[in-house]
Amino acid sequence: MSTVRDLNRIKIKAAVRRAIEASSAEIISLARDIYEHPEPGFTEERTARVVAAALSKAGVNPETGIAITGMKGIKSFSDDGPTVGVIGELDAVKAPGHPAADLKSGAAHACGHHAQLGALVGAAIGLGVPEVASSLTGRAAFIATPAEEFIDVGMRWGLHETEHLGFLSGKQEMIRLGAFDDVDMAMMIHTSSSKAQRRFIVGGTSNAHVVHYVKFIGKAAHAGGAPHQGVNALQAAMLALSAINTLRETFEAENQTRVHGIITNGGVATNAVPAEVVYEGRVRGRTMEAVDKVSARVVDCYRAGALAMGAELEMVSIPGYLPLDNNKGMARVFSENVATEFGEDSIMTQGDRVNAGGSTDMGDLSQVMPSLHPYVAAADGTGHGIDYIIADYRRAVVDSAISMALTVVDLLSDGAAEARGIIDSHTPSLTRKGYVESQFDRLQRINYKGE
Amino acid sequence: MANFQNPADLKQAVSAHISSHGEPAIDLARAALSHPETGYKEFKTAEATAAAIRALGLEVREGIAITGMTATLQGGFPGPNVAIIAELDALPVPGHPNADPDTTAAHACAHHCQLGNLLAAAIGLSAPGVLESLSGSVTLMVVPAEEYVEIEWRNEQRVAGRIEFLGGKPEFVRLGELDDVDICMMTHVTTEDPYDGFGVGGTNTGLVAKFIEFKGVKSHAGGAPHLGINALNAAHLAIAGIHAQRETYRDDDTVRIHPIITRGGSVVNAVPDDVRMETFVRGASISAIKSANEKVDRALRAGALAVGATVDITTLPGYLPLAPDQRLTALHKANAESLVGSERVHEFGRRGGSTDMGDLTQMMPGIHPYVGGAVGRSNHAEDMVVDNYNLAVLDAGKAMAMTVVDLLAAGAVEATRVISEHRPAMTKDEYLKLQRAFLSERSYTE
Repeated sequence: MSTVRDLNRIKIKAAVRRAIEASSAEIISLARDIYEHPEPGFTEERTARVVAAALSKAGVNPETGIAITGMKGIKSFSDDGPTVGVIGELDAVKAPGHPAADLKSGAAHACGHHAQLGALVGAAIGLGVPEVASSLTGRAAFIATPAEEFIDVGMRWGLHETEHLGFLSGKQEMIRLGAFDDVDMAMMIHTSSSKAQRRFIVGGTSNAHVVHYVKFIGKAAHAGGAPHQGVNALQAAMLALSAINTLRETFEAENQTRVHGIITNGGVATNAVPAEVVYEGRVRGRTMEAVDKVSARVVDCYRAGALAMGAELEMVSIPGYLPLDNNKGMARVFSENVATEFGEDSIMTQGDRVNAGGSTDMGDLSQVMPSLHPYVAAADGTGHGIDYIIADYRRAVVDSAISMALTVVDLLSDGAAEARGIIDSHTPSLTRKGYVESQFDRLQRINYKGE
Repeated sequence: MANFQNPADLKQAVSAHISSHGEPAIDLARAALSHPETGYKEFKTAEATAAAIRALGLEVREGIAITGMTATLQGGFPGPNVAIIAELDALPVPGHPNADPDTTAAHACAHHCQLGNLLAAAIGLSAPGVLESLSGSVTLMVVPAEEYVEIEWRNEQRVAGRIEFLGGKPEFVRLGELDDVDICMMTHVTTEDPYDGFGVGGTNTGLVAKFIEFKGVKSHAGGAPHLGINALNAAHLAIAGIHAQRETYRDDDTVRIHPIITRGGSVVNAVPDDVRMETFVRGASISAIKSANEKVDRALRAGALAVGATVDITTLPGYLPLAPDQRLTALHKANAESLVGSERVHEFGRRGGSTDMGDLTQMMPGIHPYVGGAVGRSNHAEDMVVDNYNLAVLDAGKAMAMTVVDLLAAGAVEATRVISEHRPAMTKDEYLKLQRAFLSERSYTE
């Protein structure tokens, strides 16, 4: 690299940084506004409106309504060349009791996605400066994805059944719809309350999972007057959960298996034998094979609950997330920028096998293209807990925006040499089409009559 | 027409003779208490009982259903045959003061007193001049194995062809020992009130018995639990399923399900691959038993399904609900009242236990009254002991012998009425068919 080109890139990066710094009040206030108006997945209408408006203001007119509330805006630097996706997630999780929870829905930004949206807009502002346009090759895609939290399964399954959704998470559905067909690599930054003394954490993986939407169907009867006429679906569910608990000793530690769920309908009146009980469950593990193996055992536990009580089981096993594969090349470029901007001690690199146990649909994307999903240590509290708050908005929003924007600059400078190198040396485990097919194959309806 | 003696005089003679000559009856009961043996293994008890009956000058047919026996007291005239029954067996009750230290068998259900009150009744009926006045006969019937215990061992005896039924009276029925019996009775000891009297007329549940084997896969429980299949967890879930079903049983059906685990694993640090359970499924009617049994099977299969194990379920014919004959109950009750006073004779209601005397009452008029004289929490508890042998043996024997007199005196007019008014629920053939249909041996993975 020649000195002139080096100097030029330093100048470009300085301009990007200045633009983001100048907008810091604006993007932090956008994040705070979204924090105050949390919306769960596929219902992020207000969130989508304010994000689309802010992106438009930054010069990126997004196409909206992709996968219900998702959007994508393109910033072209040249006619050809690779496209780098910068992603922010629109949805809140549900955490009733969280200080900023929506009183009606219980939705709360207890996972910090609102900060991602500030960073997304900040990156668009930074990459919108005139100096950038003339120096980079390719495109930046600014993508806001709905519904990363795999919740409200009953509602989402209804959207699937009425053909409003194919897959039940935002990135899954946007891949299916082709929204990532013209994107070559993708990155986002998630907040973390990790107490690591580093600003950014890169590397590691996440769990795969499948989602179970399970109905135990019994027979209603007066619970005092004629319990012998009823079939108690709640007892069936209780036995199923007890059965699942007996399986735990068979989970292999290295698979990091997690099985957990909630009962969303546990009966309608205390004095009636519960005739329908609905359970939303999750089976997670390090690999899809490990998940499938445990999932089959868990399904037997549901059937056992139904069998013991003479109830029926109607369930669907819904394709969940794939494990996260952080791209090494992107991690290197990102880490160099973080180190330059914030100091060598501001980046921590995790081993490839480090897995906190959670799951993300960024994992799905990482199986079809080079992807990066670092964390910014800017939160306090427990993820998804009522005490999870962004403690350092400057870091969560502004530092993240700068880190991503500068990474894009490096990827697309010099004729997009870095980006092309990363793409050329990356072999995705699935094509986009193969991904969609294999996920649909995973969808399984199971009906069982306990008799 | 023969010149029969007055029944009241005969009963007076019977009662007085038991009071004056009843000591061997109490001795037999005490002897049996000292060597308790479980069902189909009551060899010492049978030997002592046979000797005591022979001492009355009677012939004893032994070895019926392994340890059972009969003897006959022949009346002076032809007529119906009344069986007086006693049960030979004890049951395992560790901690009972009279428990066998090796087998833990103990007479915590006081069957030893039945041997005594049977003998007492026989002594009474042997009083001078009594039998000569009776029309018909009395069969002394001593049966093994009323307590439905040691199911796995007894099932092995069944498979080996030594017995077909695991209870003594069903086996006696099968062998034709009840074919010439018209009316039957026995008296069981209870810790319930009245302590100093009798309880009459209660009903009992029937049952099927189950022997259950959960088969998993053994593996190191610390090192490789993922390679094992835990049969104990299957059993645990099966029991949880049985509990979850309880709300579906009607009060009137008196359903009782109370399993025990007879093998729960071999070592703590191996995943249990062989877990065995025994249970009864009791109910007040045959349909209640059948319905509950189907539910229990579902729970057992669910336990296996949940963990990926196999369950082998052997369902064995058990006992039928007790349906005491009302006319016979009234006769016995009057005799009991004459002995202890009417305030000390209680009418019993629906009861949760079971007895193979129930089987006999489905086919012929029969009664299964209770006598006090015992203390403790309940029958089968380790603190259940008899402390009034005069009541449990002599008075109980008197009441039965007097009832026999009522039945067979005066040309057996009373017995004939009891028999003609009784509507048996089933014939012997129907009974055997019903019981045999309960037998099933099946293996399930779900």
